[in-house]
Amino acid sequence: MLKIILNKWLVFVCLIVILSIIGVAFTASQNTNNVLVRTVRYVYMPVQSGIDAVRNNWLNIYDFFGNKKLLNQRIAEMEKELDQVKMANNSLNEYRHEAQRLQTLLDFKDSNIDVYDLVAARVIARSPNNWTNSLTISKGSQDGIAENMTVITPDGLVGRVNAVFSQSAEISLITDNEVAVGAIFAENRDTTGIVEGTGQDNGLRMVNIPYYAKINENETVLTSGLSSIYPKGIVIGTIRSVETENKGLLLNTVVIPAVDFNHLEEVLVIINYHPPDGS
Amino acid sequence: MRLLILILLPALSLLLQSTLFGFYSIYGVIPDVVLIFVVVFALLHNYKQATIYGFFCGLLEDLYVGNMIGMNALAKGLTAYIISSLQVQVFKENIIVSVLGVLLGTIFNTALIIIIMLTVNKPLVFNVDFLWKSGFQIMYNMVLSIPAYIFYYNSTRTGWLENKGND
Repeated sequence: MLKIILNKWLVFVCLIVILSIIGVAFTASQNTNNVLVRTVRYVYMPVQSGIDAVRNNWLNIYDFFGNKKLLNQRIAEMEKELDQVKMANNSLNEYRHEAQRLQTLLDFKDSNIDVYDLVAARVIARSPNNWTNSLTISKGSQDGIAENMTVITPDGLVGRVNAVFSQSAEISLITDNEVAVGAIFAENRDTTGIVEGTGQDNGLRMVNIPYYAKINENETVLTSGLSSIYPKGIVIGTIRSVETENKGLLLNTVVIPAVDFNHLEEVLVIINYHPPDGS
Repeated sequence: MRLLILILLPALSLLLQSTLFGFYSIYGVIPDVVLIFVVVFALLHNYKQATIYGFFCGLLEDLYVGNMIGMNALAKGLTAYIISSLQVQVFKENIIVSVLGVLLGTIFNTALIIIIMLTVNKPLVFNVDFLWKSGFQIMYNMVLSIPAYIFYYNSTRTGWLENKGND
């Protein structure tokens, strides 16, 4: 009896190991969008949006309690009204900051209306582990989002759409070590290279630069437009330092991203691109 | 009820990791709360139950991420098996057991993930920053294991997770 149970157990373990290995092998090179993945996403999406809403209002709740304590101290000094105004002011400030951020997005959208068709989206979740750099946004295929669309902010390039669901999409950030972007320098337009994520905290480097290229620190790096995904001329970041690779034929540089990935709350997805020269 | 809680724990942990911990990461490091609950489960159950639970928790994480499906399932299943095999002779009422269990569990899990990623040629950069982040995640997990273990241990004795059937 024990033998049968032991054998059943061994068969089960072998089965899950083999299934896992097959699963990893088949899904290692690209994201999967099968029915199980979609189901998990559909279940999580409304909860993530709810948590995001709570997170956004948390500051107001925090201010409410902070101010309430202050209010109690000042009741004796008859300043109740003043505290209520302060409380309202805090709340308005929060809305003002949000309005400013949205205004920046809107201004950017308006000024690029001839070049890009943009869809604004809110960041509702981030990568659940330390192995990938990704974001989940609140817009999906229902809003015209499709795979491999470029994601930006008014500051610069964020990444590309990696997987799309009906009401959400996953964005691979350019800081992910599996993302590579063709790049040129803003001034020295002849020199091209590839910007890739280091996989570490917001780290970027530009590689494959010829050794004779003249690179200045603080020079701006833009997308080259040579890949089919990223339109030309989007700011990626600025050069921080230049190093020669071991064999001396190529240079690589440390790039500071233009976008502050730690504080991304809204992004813009380029759903259509009309190059200015009509090409 | 017990089964529902056991399913909800990794599901909610994953939600916490992608929202709260994701938005407020410390130096870019987020804890692996799913792993913490897998290790805590492994410390209090036999190796068969632990392996199955670890596998399904990892699978849920893989389905959530949508990439390399099976990587976390395999890593967490094996980690749970190792931890539950080691825990047989320890005194489980001591909180140090959970801290050491999560320390070992995080090391095993990280090592297994690295091996799997290298096997399928996923790019990994091994440098000081990588070591620092891995070390910081181990400490982060160890700290969080304390409340997780207290909650879980008490629940298995007199709460929602009390097992009224045979183990």
